[in-house]
Amino acid sequence: MLAFVARRLAIALTLVWVVASLVFVVIHLIPGDPAELLLSQGGVAPDPGAIAELRERLGLDRPLLEQYLSYLASILQGDFGLSLLDGHPIAEEIALRLPRTLELIAAAGLLSVLIGLPLGVLAARRAGGLTDRILSAWAGFALSIPVFVVGTLMVLILAQQLRWVPAGGFVAFSENPVRHLTLLMLPASTIAVGLSAVIFRIARSSILEVLSRDHVRAARARGLEPRRILARHVVRNALSPVITVLALHLGSLLGGTVLVEYVFNWPGLSGYLVTAVEARDYPEVVGIVLVISALFVLLNFIVDVLYGVLDPRVRQS
Amino acid sequence: MSGARRWRIARVPAALVAGLLLCALLTPILPLPDPVKQEIANRLATPSAEHWLGTDEYGRDNLSRILWGARVSLSVALAASAIAALIGTTLGLLGGYFRGLVELLTVRASEVVLCLPPLLLALLVVTLLGPGATTLTLALSILFAPAFARLAYGETLSARELDYVAAQHALGAGSPRILIRTILPNIASPLIVQFSLTVASAMVLESGLSFLGLGVVPPSPSWGLMIRGARASMEMAPLQLVWPCLALTGTVLLLNQLCDRLRDVLDPRGQYGAMAGRSRRPATQSNPARSTDSPKASDTHEPLLAVQGLTLRAGGDAPDALELVREVSFDVQAGETLAVVGESGSGKTLTVLSVMGLLPDAVKPVGGSIRLRDRDGATYDLLSCSEESIRSLRGREIAMIFQDPASSLNPLLRIGEQVAESLTAHGLREGVRPRVLSLLKAVGLPDPEQQIDAFPHQLSGGQRQRVMIAAAIANDPSLLLADEPTTALDVTVQAQILELLNRLRASHRGMSMIFVTHNLAVVNEIADRVCVMYAGEVVEVGPVSAVFKDPRHPYTAALIRSTPEGEMERLNTISGTVPQPDAMPSGCRFAARCDQAKSSCASGGSPELLEVRPGRLSRCPVINQEFA
Repeated sequence: MLAFVARRLAIALTLVWVVASLVFVVIHLIPGDPAELLLSQGGVAPDPGAIAELRERLGLDRPLLEQYLSYLASILQGDFGLSLLDGHPIAEEIALRLPRTLELIAAAGLLSVLIGLPLGVLAARRAGGLTDRILSAWAGFALSIPVFVVGTLMVLILAQQLRWVPAGGFVAFSENPVRHLTLLMLPASTIAVGLSAVIFRIARSSILEVLSRDHVRAARARGLEPRRILARHVVRNALSPVITVLALHLGSLLGGTVLVEYVFNWPGLSGYLVTAVEARDYPEVVGIVLVISALFVLLNFIVDVLYGVLDPRVRQS
Repeated sequence: MSGARRWRIARVPAALVAGLLLCALLTPILPLPDPVKQEIANRLATPSAEHWLGTDEYGRDNLSRILWGARVSLSVALAASAIAALIGTTLGLLGGYFRGLVELLTVRASEVVLCLPPLLLALLVVTLLGPGATTLTLALSILFAPAFARLAYGETLSARELDYVAAQHALGAGSPRILIRTILPNIASPLIVQFSLTVASAMVLESGLSFLGLGVVPPSPSWGLMIRGARASMEMAPLQLVWPCLALTGTVLLLNQLCDRLRDVLDPRGQYGAMAGRSRRPATQSNPARSTDSPKASDTHEPLLAVQGLTLRAGGDAPDALELVREVSFDVQAGETLAVVGESGSGKTLTVLSVMGLLPDAVKPVGGSIRLRDRDGATYDLLSCSEESIRSLRGREIAMIFQDPASSLNPLLRIGEQVAESLTAHGLREGVRPRVLSLLKAVGLPDPEQQIDAFPHQLSGGQRQRVMIAAAIANDPSLLLADEPTTALDVTVQAQILELLNRLRASHRGMSMIFVTHNLAVVNEIADRVCVMYAGEVVEVGPVSAVFKDPRHPYTAALIRSTPEGEMERLNTISGTVPQPDAMPSGCRFAARCDQAKSSCASGGSPELLEVRPGRLSRCPVINQEFA
């Protein structure tokens, strides 16, 4: 098991390095000088003095290899530099906002599994029946509504028209836990509309597939009760694809909460990214991209290890 | 399903998508107001004859903006998908065909993109190049190309193994020619499915970025931008929000539907049939079918199991239902081993599965009865009793071992837990582990104290089958069904398992067995009587030694001749194949392959199964003429 984890970790770290290098290469391979590019807002030719100053500030006047090494060294220390806009340390801002995004993703993921998995089991048990067809049709619809449409309509209906909930915003948990969770619910359920449908679909097909396996028939031949067969021989065996898909989607949510955070004014990492992109504050963008990619890779690493825990065969291969 | 019928299910969404594309194409020539012409005096107007869907916050016509928006959204999504498909497929084809360094530079390199969350990558590209439809198309192409590369790569790998591709190579066809002419058409189906999926995803991402103000640049109409604009004024005009949301969701739903249908048509491997899973019995019959009217049933002459006229059909009562097993009758006495023999497709396995009540969903018994006497002397009709009462018999009175022990054990549970299930399912609560240990010892599993906590993959094939047997005999069942239990094992291990089963039969006094096999040599070693099945029917029944010495059915005789035995030099195979259930011949089902068939054999119904000598049943009127 230890060797298995070590091997996966090595792969994960390599991936993070590749991504960091890639971001570096992309920024330096873009035709034109990054400093010039950054300063040329609205088609106005930038001031040459300002370009030179920015080049120095960003270290663009040094040899490329030197830039690359110092870039790697500083991100290893968790130093992403200062914001071009207001001079704040980027790492600090990320540390403040990242937990909010993670909280949102975790809540959405939990909600989706709680809804999608049992419904998937239910539909698979009644495959072809009315329940199955209704649930599958619902899933097809839920998957087709873009998340910002769901969010906007939720604000329109629940907040504007019915006035049941606030339209969005953020209050720290330490300040007012109830208010914090109320504000969390709306963006989390917005994401869960689509995500639970994803979980439902994969759980349903995975359970159907496991139900047809020989070991389920063998368990039935032993006279096990249907409920025990489902719990011991079906759901657990069907979980691997569900976990993979959930992890993949949670991973893309790391950047994908942008829309939901924007709709509900949730001051997470993604909203920060949009501001950075709008302002073309490139050290900020690089910092956020790196942190999110590292988390993404970390998530995949955790999934791989979880696989090993769930399936004894994986540990050995 | 025929090709035309398969395509029919994709007809409706395909037509709707085509209509949508046509609308977008025709928009410039339709008599619509200018989508960017502002009319501030008439802002946020409600629907009217002039503006069917009203006007937006700048007084622009909503209907016109939606249709023009469709053009923008569709062209960005289609262009991005096309570029991604072109680049990705090329990379995947090259990587999959040449492997090695080329693979590293093409497929593996493109997969780095997958290390970044998609929306994030799009935002990164927008940061570097600034917003706009062109940037958006580029960003989306980069995003979706790796998926195509991966798909083309995987399909190419399997396609290049195909015989005719190898043959072309041997014939000296050049690589580009093989790639384009042979492999590409082969992988076209999954690529088409992926393409339609990509168009839908690209559309969602495009509108999302436009919604954030980082995609299509105003004043160009785009659904994302329209939602963004309507959001600002939603307190005054909530209806503004509805139109673009409907248009976007409807289009994506349509594309997804088309994609699902295309997948069903083009890539049937991905489907899970409703055939899978459990058999459904009428749950209404809660009364146990225990017949108390025959307390004398425990007489020694009464068989333990009596199968009478069992007929199984796939598709139930439908007119196109297939009869898989017809009028099968046999019985098993207490302590006796009955071998059920026949080629693949003879219905042996379905017959024993119906005794267990474990038939696949699609197969239903439509006639006959299966009567089992339990150890207290009560009899059950296994075909009509409730699922709950047959469940309590399974594993207690009747147990079963299967052909492939590797797949019949749950890979995620320790073997001890799986054997223990047999005990706990029938009420044992205490002393389970010692009992499991003694069972594992009884089936000859080496080092049971260690192995009890092993996972199935840590055991050899023969050891796994021993575990399956341990689980089967845990409750001292009176009947053990063994469905080709040695077929998946090595020859040396086969002998050991047979020996184990013989030993268990001797030690568990009174345990009867039904042993399904296609191997007559095995029958000789283990069975008292044999029941020969052909094409869903029983053709001969009798004591093993008598049947082997003097087979009373040409099929049995042919089977015996085809069994490799001792010094025999030549093996006789039976020419022809078992007829399929949808093409059953009239008359005797074996007639076409029979060397003694007469012209009369191939007409009329199937001959009856008759007692031709005491204890001997046969379905052949020709060679049993003197007894008929």
